[in-house]
Amino acid sequence: MAATAVVRVCESINCTKEAKLQCPTCIKLGIEGSFFCEQECFKGSWKEHKQVHKKERMKINMKAQNEAAVSFNPWPGYVFSGPLRPFPKSTLRVVPEGIEKPDYADHPEGYPASEMEIRGSTQIKVLNKDEIEGLRTACKYGREVLDVAAAMIRPGVTTDDIDEAVHNACIERKCYPSPLNYRGFPKSCCTSVNEVICHGIPDKRPLEEGDIVNVDITVFHNGYHGDLNETFFVGKVDDKSKELVQTTYEALKEAINMVKPGVRYRDVGNVIQKKVQAHGFSVVRTYCGHGIHRLFHTTPSIPHYSKNKAIGVMKPGHAFTIEPMINMGKWQDSLWPDDWTAVTVDGKRSAQFEHTLIVTETGCDILTARQDKDGQPHFLDQLETL
Amino acid sequence: MSVSSDEDCPDLVPAEAGSSTSKKIPVTVITGYLGAGKTTLLNHILTEQHNKKIAVILNEFGTGSAVESSMAMGQTGELYEEWLELRNGCLCCSVKDNGIQAIERLMEKKGRFDYILLETTGLADPGPIASIFWLDDELGCNIYLDGIITVVDAKYSLNQLLEKKPDKVINEAVRQVALADLVLLNKVDLVDKNLIMKTENHIKSINSLADIVHTVKAKVDLQKILDLHAYDTSKYQGFRTERFQATSSHIDPFIVSVTFEVFGSITSVDLDSYIQNLLWDKSVCNPNGNPMEILRMKGEVSLVAEARRVIVQAVNELYDREVTTPWEADSARKCTLVFIGRNLDEKVLRQKFTDLIGLA
Repeated sequence: MAATAVVRVCESINCTKEAKLQCPTCIKLGIEGSFFCEQECFKGSWKEHKQVHKKERMKINMKAQNEAAVSFNPWPGYVFSGPLRPFPKSTLRVVPEGIEKPDYADHPEGYPASEMEIRGSTQIKVLNKDEIEGLRTACKYGREVLDVAAAMIRPGVTTDDIDEAVHNACIERKCYPSPLNYRGFPKSCCTSVNEVICHGIPDKRPLEEGDIVNVDITVFHNGYHGDLNETFFVGKVDDKSKELVQTTYEALKEAINMVKPGVRYRDVGNVIQKKVQAHGFSVVRTYCGHGIHRLFHTTPSIPHYSKNKAIGVMKPGHAFTIEPMINMGKWQDSLWPDDWTAVTVDGKRSAQFEHTLIVTETGCDILTARQDKDGQPHFLDQLETL
Repeated sequence: MSVSSDEDCPDLVPAEAGSSTSKKIPVTVITGYLGAGKTTLLNHILTEQHNKKIAVILNEFGTGSAVESSMAMGQTGELYEEWLELRNGCLCCSVKDNGIQAIERLMEKKGRFDYILLETTGLADPGPIASIFWLDDELGCNIYLDGIITVVDAKYSLNQLLEKKPDKVINEAVRQVALADLVLLNKVDLVDKNLIMKTENHIKSINSLADIVHTVKAKVDLQKILDLHAYDTSKYQGFRTERFQATSSHIDPFIVSVTFEVFGSITSVDLDSYIQNLLWDKSVCNPNGNPMEILRMKGEVSLVAEARRVIVQAVNELYDREVTTPWEADSARKCTLVFIGRNLDEKVLRQKFTDLIGLA
């Protein structure tokens, strides 16, 4: 076979000379390419070039950490449905004295006594003006905390870093992070990466380029809970993930658009399922939207799938969340042995968006709407800059 | 002509109706006062030769406080117990009850059961338990509610049913009879015919939907009590209206059955609002101004622009409807509804419904 002489061109910008030299660091790091014409030219573009090293080192670092985590496997024998693995967790975060806590905060098992007391009842509370204001304030703080988390999303940041920032942001606003110790949940928010549907526990796993991550925030302030979540892109994500996230958000939007007095709760799921099915995605059925006010989770229950038997009709003063979880593949979920992390059974990705709503005379108020950018979710900012 | 030729397009054949793994497992809820004979019935079922792998769940269920339930399994006489751990639920609400997840997990470990029997405590209200097991089809759960069996003591039950509770609380024994799909009138050998008749009439006045089976030592043909399909239409054979008439004259300030039949068809929207006003808004009152309270409802309805019969079902506030067999061309369209509950007034219920029926 005849050898073909390969003519390589120098990689410096605006240089077209033949390149016969190579960056030694790149060789060491295993980066392919990196050919230059001469040292001077190489030096001239070093500032830009060294970024390549930095990125690669970060990647290697992350990989090593991830491998360490695989050896950390706390559940030998458990068959994971996808590539994501649990990482070690940080120690318990403390909420200082002086911040009002919900009843489960100091219970050894995080038992929400006030919620359980009215379990079985299907009555939906109608909030009066003062109660709506209480809920509104909690939701406003919840939104601020989510925005803090949103600003942190990038490769290399761990979900535990996010949890720490969320925890501190709650305390700064005199809020208790509602998930903390709720039925024993160990952290201050839920972070659900890729195939995690919901209730992912923040840990030491660094976010990787191409991940999608949902951060679910609930804060408790002055007796009220405000609950919301958004899914974010970590760096550049593939088109299918973009479509998933976009569709999930639009499904939530359409569901919110139908909220007004007289609408049956059971009909919300029809709108959502129709929307996502058209994209070949599926609706998670195990977890649903819920009433929220002085209780974190209460009546009504609002399934996101069609043909459900949900009880009740919307009335002015009803407060609840809609929070569709949409899967790329099968709708079925399974639970990690930590009893919290819900993952897709096929390991394919899942996205979610959530708002807390209050029904008004004519429609509803989105209490957890973003205050800037016309209320648009953060992933749309990310799409604009991508 | 060659059989295996691919030149002609063959006629399609019906797809197999689900693989064996998707076969759903029935759950029968067994209620009854302490001493009525629930345990005797269970022992009878478990020791009978039925070639079924039956799981029995004892103890209170679905109360949320139960962290574990005791469980016994029997397969042709073989009995053993084990503890069933209910794992923690989740952060937002789960549609499926923890207990159902626990059963699903146990089946993953122990292999599938053919049947599940759930025995409640003597004072349990079967309503919430029924709600837990009457799941949305969409959940793809492999267990379903087959029916509620209430065991009743022939000797003491009439007194128990007539006992008045303070503060207008519905007596548990009455609630259990009201929600029954089948009543076992047990220990009939210990009482005279007169009392049996009186008791049976009283049970019928509370619940005209349920069949009543007389038993001695809770001995009963299993075919009579299993696979009732009370909550689905897979074995639907039409409403048997003849038995509703005889008992409607009984006047009871408490729980009664009320039945009416109206000719004509109702629109889907009107049917929903009729049911929702009753079940959810509780805005339908009897002539004394007391809101009607529905514990159980069942009906066969003719819907406008629907060629098939529609079955409507409710337990407390939970309701659903399902299309079933087609109306025969020559049969008159009609709606038959049975309500079991408190403060019910047949005239009001019928009038409200008739008002919605199209005159066309």
